[in-house]
Amino acid sequence: MEAPPQIASATNAATLIDVVGLTKLYGDFTAVKDLSFAVRRGEVIGLVGPNGAGKTTTLRCLAGIIPPTRGAIRISGFDMAANAIDAKRRLAFFSDEPRLFDYLTVDQHLAFIGRIYGVADWKERSRPLLEELEIADKVDKLPGELSRGMKQKLVIACGLLHAPEVIFFDEPLTGLDPVGIRRMKNSILKRSREGAAILISSHLLHLLEEVCSHVLILKNGQKVIDGTLDEIRQRYSEQAGANLEEVFFRATGESKGDS
Amino acid sequence: MIAQALFFYLSRSWKNRLMVRIRRMREPRYLVGGIAGALYMYFYFFRALHRGAYGAGRIPMSGEHQALIQSIYALAFLVFILMMWIVPQHRAALTFTEAEASFLFAAPISRRDLINFKLLRSQAGILLSSFIMAFVGRFGSHHFYSGWVGWWIILATFNLHTLGASFTLTMLMDRGMSTARRRLMLLGAIVVVFGGIAFWVRQTLPPLPTVQANRNAFNELARYAGHALDAGPLPYILLPFKLLLAPFFAITPAAFLLALPAALGLLALHYIWVVRSDVAFEEASLEASRKLAERVAAIRSGNWQAARKNQKAVRSPFQLRASGTPAVALIWKNLIATSSMITVRFWMMLIWFAVVGGVICRSMLQDGVNLAVTSFIGMIAGMSLVFGPNLLRNDFRQDLLAMDMLKTLPLRGWQVVLGEILAPVTILTAAQWILLILALVCCPPQWAQYPLPIALRVACFFAAAAVLPTVNFANLVIRNAAVLIVPAWFQLGRDGPRGFENTGQQIILAVGQTLVLVVALLPPAAVFTGAFFLVFYVIGPASAFLVAGVLAAVILVIEATIAIRLLGGVFERFDLSKEMLTPA
Repeated sequence: MEAPPQIASATNAATLIDVVGLTKLYGDFTAVKDLSFAVRRGEVIGLVGPNGAGKTTTLRCLAGIIPPTRGAIRISGFDMAANAIDAKRRLAFFSDEPRLFDYLTVDQHLAFIGRIYGVADWKERSRPLLEELEIADKVDKLPGELSRGMKQKLVIACGLLHAPEVIFFDEPLTGLDPVGIRRMKNSILKRSREGAAILISSHLLHLLEEVCSHVLILKNGQKVIDGTLDEIRQRYSEQAGANLEEVFFRATGESKGDS
Repeated sequence: MIAQALFFYLSRSWKNRLMVRIRRMREPRYLVGGIAGALYMYFYFFRALHRGAYGAGRIPMSGEHQALIQSIYALAFLVFILMMWIVPQHRAALTFTEAEASFLFAAPISRRDLINFKLLRSQAGILLSSFIMAFVGRFGSHHFYSGWVGWWIILATFNLHTLGASFTLTMLMDRGMSTARRRLMLLGAIVVVFGGIAFWVRQTLPPLPTVQANRNAFNELARYAGHALDAGPLPYILLPFKLLLAPFFAITPAAFLLALPAALGLLALHYIWVVRSDVAFEEASLEASRKLAERVAAIRSGNWQAARKNQKAVRSPFQLRASGTPAVALIWKNLIATSSMITVRFWMMLIWFAVVGGVICRSMLQDGVNLAVTSFIGMIAGMSLVFGPNLLRNDFRQDLLAMDMLKTLPLRGWQVVLGEILAPVTILTAAQWILLILALVCCPPQWAQYPLPIALRVACFFAAAAVLPTVNFANLVIRNAAVLIVPAWFQLGRDGPRGFENTGQQIILAVGQTLVLVVALLPPAAVFTGAFFLVFYVIGPASAFLVAGVLAAVILVIEATIAIRLLGGVFERFDLSKEMLTPA
């Protein structure tokens, strides 16, 4: 499938996701504290951490769904607070739960997204996307008539229609069958090769090992470490070839539960 | 042991739910709602009980009429029971919550215990329904509590009968009786029995009294109906239903106590019938529980469209082009959400019907009748201003749980707000314009001694056509503002507001929204009045209506535009997670 042309960034800089001092408070509770990191063009960063570490809150702040309490977020050079429209035009957010409009068919979802993002050739772009995701024969179906995996695929088709250069995934493999999982991994790698900056939050550490170039570990809303997979392995493991699971337990101080 | 465990689950669930509500009162928004709800409950229900107003509110009627009402109730219940045996076509299914189905069906619990559990759990709903019914239908018992007990016996027996009938029908299905055959047999039996009764009535009773301009026509008819219901074979058929109704209709405490044993006996017989049925209901129950959970989730999210059974894909109301104002996509989406009928062709047909219907009215009816028709249409249009925004909820009230998706869209806040609100405004306005066309065509050229020349009628039409959409717009802006400002009072998600505190919140919202609307209407009303009198004395009434209407509409549009801009800012700052979601 030919990738559609991406919308130009504000600058030609390689950094597409730039987070500085992100903090999110819910009353007295600190969900994310002073988080800073950057993702460059073509990088895939895995966001990992125990439950309640602040992964989803971070993703929702980055996608412009919830406002951060403090800190700055720049997407493709556009500040999310000052220039939210331009920033949102360049990103796609995939939540763990497929959120769709119950009364729009698959085709109507794509028409809606096409108009919102101003994708003039949405019909031409959607056909190969739907075929790649194997839902081309479901264009007249409502979400209620689709399985959970198919709904997830429709969300992905909607998200990729405008060829975003920044992509956020929250548990992207939930509900997908083995073939879907394989395709999703390939799709992530393909988009990263095409120059997209991708951030994936997942508990599936083996998935992150397969697709991520970088890892960011969060605990209690704070960054424990970030870097390339090799850098993190070197820091937290005595063995050079230790897997991410080993690294995760050492970095977060969690017990494995089998000892 | 099992019964104890199930009772533990039920009692703790009820207690915990109550505690959650009480703890929630620490938040001002729930406390305020709780106080308003409690005051409403006190004034509507309990004050009446304390002051003995319950008896006073009872509908007065003679013993003859009371007996007739009892017989009519019995007949209605008979029809209801017959439907329970004719309509169902699926296997028996007890609806549990998904968690209950998941835990209890896999647990070592007998079917009888599951049925007992289900019956016990349904008691809360039955007690509440009986409480309300005892208030609504006061022509029965003199005393509230006997009325409450009476209704409880009726509803509990019906609940058991529904279960028993579904179990028996499932057993018949398992023995090879098809739904069609069962329906044919039952309908055949009903035709024979009721045909026999009709024959008896025709042969035995005098002919039906002719209802003319006779002041006693109602009494004559009532007497005839009473005789038909209380003589011949029908009383025997209605006897069990009358026994069931007797405690509710008992006028004195002694009559109530006397009626109680037979009614309770019927209840006990139904219970024995249900618990002794051994029917496999688990598989159908799982499916029913899943569907119920989906419908409840959809209704709580305000998405009544999704809650409907057999939801079907809807044609686009118009072709959505890929380029242009993005907010149009939101209007298009919300029009699809409303109905499959919202198409240009449908509205053109309605306009055609309005014009043709109006012309027929004008040519066939007298001027006085046409004036009444016009007034009635005007009244409907006026009521649509009040009730329309409550019925058409295809705006933020529907999309509250899709807020995540709306927030990621590359649109300014005011664009999203405008796009969300315009669909109900469009539908409501189109309906009102059609009513106006009908009124314009029907309106006679004279009202009492006042002439209504065509110029005046047309001017009024255009003035109303200009004002109505702007009032709709302002009204819906206010309703959607409430969603964005106090979303928790609307949020109907996983732990949405329920109970009397929610009733209180809804009362406060309704009063608040009405007040804001009244305030918003004051400037355009003032402009309308000033402009009307000025132009009236300078030019004439037709021009006065037209100019004043257009000016009032302009003022309302300005107000609504400012409100949309402000709400856009509220939407951009809207933090759904603070209101509804548990932080990750």
